[in-house]
Amino acid sequence: MSDVSVPTWEEVARDHGRTIYNFAYRLTGNPDEAGDLVQEVLLRVRRGLATYTPGSFEGWLWRITRNAFLDEVRRRKRRATVPFPEDDRGHQGTSPEPAEVLAEVRLSRDVQAALLRLPYDFREAVVLCDVVGLTYDEIAEAVGIPVGTVRSRIHRGRRQLREWLT
Amino acid sequence: MTHPSDALSALLDGALPPAEAAEIERHLAGCAECRTEHDALGAVRAAVRSLPLLDPPARALTPAPEGRERGRHHVFGWAASGMAAAALGIGLVWGPGQPDTAVDLDTLADRHTARVVVDPGISTLRGPLAGR
Repeated sequence: MSDVSVPTWEEVARDHGRTIYNFAYRLTGNPDEAGDLVQEVLLRVRRGLATYTPGSFEGWLWRITRNAFLDEVRRRKRRATVPFPEDDRGHQGTSPEPAEVLAEVRLSRDVQAALLRLPYDFREAVVLCDVVGLTYDEIAEAVGIPVGTVRSRIHRGRRQLREWLT
Repeated sequence: MTHPSDALSALLDGALPPAEAAEIERHLAGCAECRTEHDALGAVRAAVRSLPLLDPPARALTPAPEGRERGRHHVFGWAASGMAAAALGIGLVWGPGQPDTAVDLDTLADRHTARVVVDPGISTLRGPLAGR
């Protein structure tokens, strides 16, 4: 995506906040860390917009997001990350649920748990591709690696997930 | 051709040049092993893509305060809760009508505080779940 106009941080929050949150949540399994990450990214976006040169906004934003995420991980490396017992659909009650809903929630949990087991490089590539929806070129730009490496990481990540999920 | 390996994922993602995609598809038509692999990778891809998009808590959609010491507010927040819980516990033990009981206040408070500091995951498990 090549934008001519420069968005405000409020527009970034509105248009990308949810995606950034889900990126961090799927990488960590931790809602608090994901929320902090969005705030940190928005802070860096607000600082960075002053010097932003219109170009590939997605590449710029996801480079910032990834760097903020890695900084956050480094800051917290002494703190244990406890995978959150996920309830993606917000079901809190004890009333019986239709079987297909329960099956979906279980699948979500299994997929999230498998993602958290992946080596970071593979997990990041898979999440940027399948959760964030970036193209291979955009991932290469955000992560700073050749497209061929993106392709290899996504494939190896999926193969590993396949092993664990079947 | 040899089995295509990582081109199968790239094919699923529409990330191959047309000529290479056509070549892989021709191979798939004649190779049951690669078709199985392709379908399995497609199922994994679909499973990750079907993860629900969660809404961030409202507080996440404002920039972090400048100069904030990041990553510690949860610990302090829950340390404060631990102290409050300790105080409540003391109140219950020493409440009216209760027999005198020897309570080591320092030990009690330290135990609550230490639990939060040593086990910061408690903020993850029991922290505010806004937006969930």
